Amino acid sequence: MTPAHGAGDAGSAEATAVPIHLRPARASDLPVLVPLLLRLKRLNEEFDPLLKVREDAEEQAKEVLTASLKDPKSILLAAEGVGPDKDKVVGLVHAVLRERPFYTPEIEGVIVDIYLLPLYRRRGVGEYLLKEISAQLKAKGAGVVIAEFPAQNEIASRFYAKRGFRAITGRHARPL
Amino acid sequence: MAGSVPAPVPPGREPRRKSRVKRAADPSEDQTDELGRRAVELSRFYGGKIETVPKVPVRSLADFALWYTPGVAEVSRAIHGDRDLSFELTGRWNTIAIVTDGSRVLGLGDMGPEGALPVMEGKALLFRWLGGVDAVPLPIQVGSPDEFIATVERLAPAFGAINLEDIASPKCFGILEQLQKRLPIPVWHDDQLGTAAATIAGLLNALELTHRSVKEVRTVLLGAGAANIATARLLFALGQDPHKLTLVDSRGILDAERSDVDELSVRNPWKYRLALKTNGGGRTGGLNEALQGADVLLAASTPDPNTISADQVRSMARDPIVFALANPVPEIWPHVAREAGAAVVATGRSDFPNQVNNSLVFPAVFRGVLDARARSIPDEIVLAAARELARHAADRGLSHDHLLPTMEETEVFPHVAAAVADAAVRQGIARRKHSHDEFLERAVAQMSRPGRLVRAIQAARLLPPLPSPPARPRRRGR
Repeated sequence: MTPAHGAGDAGSAEATAVPIHLRPARASDLPVLVPLLLRLKRLNEEFDPLLKVREDAEEQAKEVLTASLKDPKSILLAAEGVGPDKDKVVGLVHAVLRERPFYTPEIEGVIVDIYLLPLYRRRGVGEYLLKEISAQLKAKGAGVVIAEFPAQNEIASRFYAKRGFRAITGRHARPL
Repeated sequence: MAGSVPAPVPPGREPRRKSRVKRAADPSEDQTDELGRRAVELSRFYGGKIETVPKVPVRSLADFALWYTPGVAEVSRAIHGDRDLSFELTGRWNTIAIVTDGSRVLGLGDMGPEGALPVMEGKALLFRWLGGVDAVPLPIQVGSPDEFIATVERLAPAFGAINLEDIASPKCFGILEQLQKRLPIPVWHDDQLGTAAATIAGLLNALELTHRSVKEVRTVLLGAGAANIATARLLFALGQDPHKLTLVDSRGILDAERSDVDELSVRNPWKYRLALKTNGGGRTGGLNEALQGADVLLAASTPDPNTISADQVRSMARDPIVFALANPVPEIWPHVAREAGAAVVATGRSDFPNQVNNSLVFPAVFRGVLDARARSIPDEIVLAAARELARHAADRGLSHDHLLPTMEETEVFPHVAAAVADAAVRQGIARRKHSHDEFLERAVAQMSRPGRLVRAIQAARLLPPLPSPPARPRRRGR
């Protein structure tokens, strides 16, 4: 199945072994992580004109990811290939911890970005990513895991719904 | 016709591509303008191209008690009890709909349903003339692919098969897939399957001629429209190694890591799947890089003779196979490709050898599936048609300028129809199972009838003869 936000796999799902492994991202990964994050944002653009990617998105991506690397309330993971693709960064998972002043659980872990190159989207990969990031968010105190993605991304909706996620708040927009 | 195909005008107009035609490059442009003017005159004179004619004797109004009420009520009751009887007791067995939304008419683009009507009438005429099929032109006004699908679903009870026509890519893929899944009759999209089948037929013989196997060749597809996406699927069915197939479109080599693949996953999942599956080894770049060492090039892209260069052909493997199928102007002139070492060249034009023409395929395919009263039209049937076409050309002796039967070799068509009907029986989707000879006999009878009919009507002076064209001052130069 598909890894969450980063485009569902309309293609085959032949392999059963997870073809990646996750590790904490490093500053030296940034040259690879930035284009991967941009791919995700450009995919999001497909779903809604209000998600049109900015001209300076590349610089922004660099800043956001650099900040996340230093921020104890962020988790940034790099997905590496295995076998012949070992040491090749093929995706990323990015999540942040947010306070919930009015509700319990008091801390939520929000998956803001998940992206994998299409060839690495196989059965079980999305599952693996979700399990890993959920565990790490929990370890940092999160009592609930939340996924953010474009409302029109039906593949992501289905992916999360199958894994017990439901919509709890909505963000509805209109241009001004 | 998709533009300026020189006379004699072949009955097909495929494969047609983008409308961006290199003007001055084509010597037959003047002729095309002339044909266009004449077509408008004649369309006005005849008021369209087809009409409905009774196929039962009517001696007096009293006969309508049989053909219509009260007698017909019993026929209605019988079919109500067994829907498949509609294939016995009505014209459904031989009637198809040519359905379009007019979103990609010829090389013209979105002409709307009314704009598509003369083209669908022409197609209906071809269906009748070549295949003996009663075809109803049916341009529909729809807003979305789902609406298109729902509309055809509702129309299906009247027809023995559906021919989809001139629908823009990529929506044509989903529409075909869904309708094939939902309808109990064959659904065909000629721009995908007709062209792909003709291409495969030519390719099979080109491979034979150059002593290659489809299982071993490295193949490049230039253009990722309806025809080539279908061709890729048929190639895989024949054993083409997906890793040895590279697709090149206007953005270069299609690869799993190309920056637009995510966009494709949303907008064109068919192309997306090819991006993941093909181009083993991950070549990047454009046509230059793709063609290095390739055995086969199947181009269905831009009507511009400079799309493929002689140097690019030279960079291919020994004795390369080059199909330049854009209409009206191939992506490389055949003599240029030959001089650059191409062992075989095919185009979409009738004035060069090896015309890859969907009209070689669709009349016979429909004749075959209708005669077998097939429930669907799987790729095995498409391949059976391609193989039969290839076999007939091979029987006459293959050479670099004889890969495929020509449109004049009409005796081939009933054989293709019978091969299609046989395949339907083998696939277990035929409502009627006959022997090969019976199917062949039936196809010969059905396919020869329209010619006899029209000649008889003309002899009886029931059709006004073609009016002579008005005299026009000859234009000088351009």
